[in-house]
Amino acid sequence: MFLAWNEIKKNKLRFVLITGVLMLVSYLVFFLSGLANGLESLNREAVDKWDATGIVLTEESDKSMPQSSMTIEDADAIDANEIAVIGQLNAVATSAENKANVAIFGIEEDSFIMPEVTEGESFSNENEVIASDTLLEEGFKLGDELELSSTDEVLKIVGFTESARFNAAPVLYGDLSTFQRVKFGEAAGENENQINAAVIRTDDLSKVTIDDNFELIETETFIENLPGYTEQSLTLTFMIYFLFVISSVIVAIFLYVLTVQKISMFGVMKAQGISNRYLANSVVAQTFILAAIGVVVGFGLTLLTGAFLPAAVPVAFDLVTMMIYGLVLIAVAIVGAVFSVWTIVKIDPLKAIGG
Amino acid sequence: MAVLELNQVTKSFGEGHKKVEAMKETEFKAEKGELIAVIGPSGSGKSTFLTVAGGLQTPTSGEVIINNQNITKLAEKKRSNIRLQEIGFILQSSNLVPFLTVDNQMRLLDKVKKGNMTKEELEQLYNDLGIYDLKQKYPSDLSGGERQRVAIAKSLYSNPSILLADEPTASLDSDRAYEVMELLQTETKNKNTTTIVVTHDTRLIDYCDKVFKMTDGVLALQ
Ligand SMILES: Nc1ncnc2c1ncn2[C@@H]1O[C@H](COP(=O)(O)OP(=O)(O)OP(=O)(O)O)[C@@H](O)[C@H]1O
Ligand SMILES: [Mg+2]
Repeated sequence: MFLAWNEIKKNKLRFVLITGVLMLVSYLVFFLSGLANGLESLNREAVDKWDATGIVLTEESDKSMPQSSMTIEDADAIDANEIAVIGQLNAVATSAENKANVAIFGIEEDSFIMPEVTEGESFSNENEVIASDTLLEEGFKLGDELELSSTDEVLKIVGFTESARFNAAPVLYGDLSTFQRVKFGEAAGENENQINAAVIRTDDLSKVTIDDNFELIETETFIENLPGYTEQSLTLTFMIYFLFVISSVIVAIFLYVLTVQKISMFGVMKAQGISNRYLANSVVAQTFILAAIGVVVGFGLTLLTGAFLPAAVPVAFDLVTMMIYGLVLIAVAIVGAVFSVWTIVKIDPLKAIGG
Repeated sequence: MAVLELNQVTKSFGEGHKKVEAMKETEFKAEKGELIAVIGPSGSGKSTFLTVAGGLQTPTSGEVIINNQNITKLAEKKRSNIRLQEIGFILQSSNLVPFLTVDNQMRLLDKVKKGNMTKEELEQLYNDLGIYDLKQKYPSDLSGGERQRVAIAKSLYSNPSILLADEPTASLDSDRAYEVMELLQTETKNKNTTTIVVTHDTRLIDYCDKVFKMTDGVLALQ
C-alpha cells in the first residue's frame, strides 16, 4: 500500500485518467444492469406479486396465456393447495387524451392473486377495475371511464395497485364477469365459465396432477416465455458480461503501459533487494484502490442519473445486483493487473537501470 | 574471516568476435572494517566488478562468497534477499524511486526490512550529508549532487554489512567529496563493515585502507 499510495499521490493525473475509465465502465455496467432489471420488472412484476408456484395452461397454448383457453371446471379439477383462475386479454384503453396499452385480468376477488389496493377501493360493481399505479403517472385518475378498443364496454377505475405490469402493459384487475363482458360482448352469458389459465400456489409442484390437455409450468418458466422477455434479458446480460471482459482488458493495457514506463524504477528497487512479491502486491493494491474508487464513483453517478431520469425510462436499480457487479468489476481489474505483475517479475534490475 | 570473497571470477559479455571480457580471472578478498578503493580507466570493468560482487549479475565463471555463503548458484529470489539484508548499493546511474520523497525512500526500507538506522541516526546522517532540508522533496526536484547524497544516505540507512559504491562522489564538489569519504570511513570503522568505493579521483584514496587498480578487466592491489 505504501508504494501504491505514494505513487498515486505523485502522479495524480495519470491515475485520475485510469480511475475515470474504470468509472465510466462501471457506470455503464450499473446502468445496463438497472435497465435489464427495469425491463424485467416491466414484464413480470404483476406475476411476481402473485407469489405463485406455477401456472396451468392448455397444452396447445405453447406457454402463452392469451392463447390458452379453459373453463372454471377444468381449473377446479386440479388438485393443489390454492388455485386462482384468471382470464386475460389485451386492449387499448382511452380516457379523454390519455391512451394506454393495458392487460385486463379477470379474477375472483377472494383468490390469492387479488392485488392489494393502495389507493381507492376494490372492484365491487360491474365493470369496475383496479389499475396499475403506473397509469397514474400517465395521467389516468380514480374515477376515469376507460373506453376499450375491442368492445363497447366501458371500465371504471376505482382503485390503484402497486407493481402491476404484465409483459410491458399496465394491468387492470376486474371481476371475472367484467373480463368476460369485455372479451365476449353479447355472448358473455354463454361463456361465463371461460378463463385463460389457473394459477397455483402449492408446496410441491410435482405432486399436482392435471389432465392430459393441460400443461403445468413453473412461474419462472412462464415468465421466460413471455414474448421478448428472454431475448431482452439475454441481450443485456451479454452486454454486461462483455463489459467485464472489456474492463479487464482496458485495465491490463493501461497498467502494462504504466509498468513498462516504470521498468527502470522497478529495477532500482529490485537492485536494492526488494522482492517481487512486495512489488507485485503493490501493483495489485494500486489496481484495487483505483478500481474501488472508480466503481464507487460510478455507483454514485448511476444512482444520481437514475434520480433525474424520466419515468418512461424503465430503469430499476437492484442494489444487491449492483454490489455484485461492482465486486466483479474490481475482481476483473485485478485480473488485468496480473499481466503487469508477470512483467515485473521478469525485469533484470541491472539491465533495467542501465547501470 | 573474509566478508566478501571472489574466487576465479570472470565476466564476459557477448559471443564470438563481439565478445568483451569485462573481468578476467579475479581473486579478491575483503575483511570487516576495511575501506577499499577501486580505481582504473573508463571501461576497464570497475562497475562490472562491483555488480558481480554484490550479486546483481552472475559471473560467467568462478564463485562469489558473501558472509560464507556462495551466492553464485543461488536463485534470484535468494540473491535478492541477500542484497536486501547485507548489501548497500550506490550505483552509477539512478538509485532513487521517482515518486517517493527523500524521507519516503528511507521509509520504503522500513517496510521491507528490519535493522535500519534509528530516527536519531538518520537525522544525523541527513545533517552529515547536508540534505536535512530536502527531506520532503522528490528526486526530480533535486540537483545531481543532491540526488547522489540522498543515494548515499539510502545505502547507509539500511546498515549493510557490505557497502558497494560506484563513484559516489562523481557529481560533488571536492569539499563535499572529502566529507562523504570521511563519512564512509567513520561508518566503516564504527560499524565494522566493509566498504568498496569505485572512484576516478585519486585524491580520495588517502581515506582508504587498500587500493585496487582495474586495467582491462584485471584487478591488481596497488
Ligand atoms: N551489459 C553489458 N553488455 C555488454 N558489454 C558490457 C555490459 N556491461 C559492461 N560491458 C562492457 O564491459 C566493459 C567494462 O564495463 P564497466 O561498466 O565495468 O566499466 P567501468 O570501469 O565501470 O567504466 P566507467 O568508469 O566508465 O564506469 C566495457 O567495455 C563495457 O562496454
Ligand atoms: Mg562504471
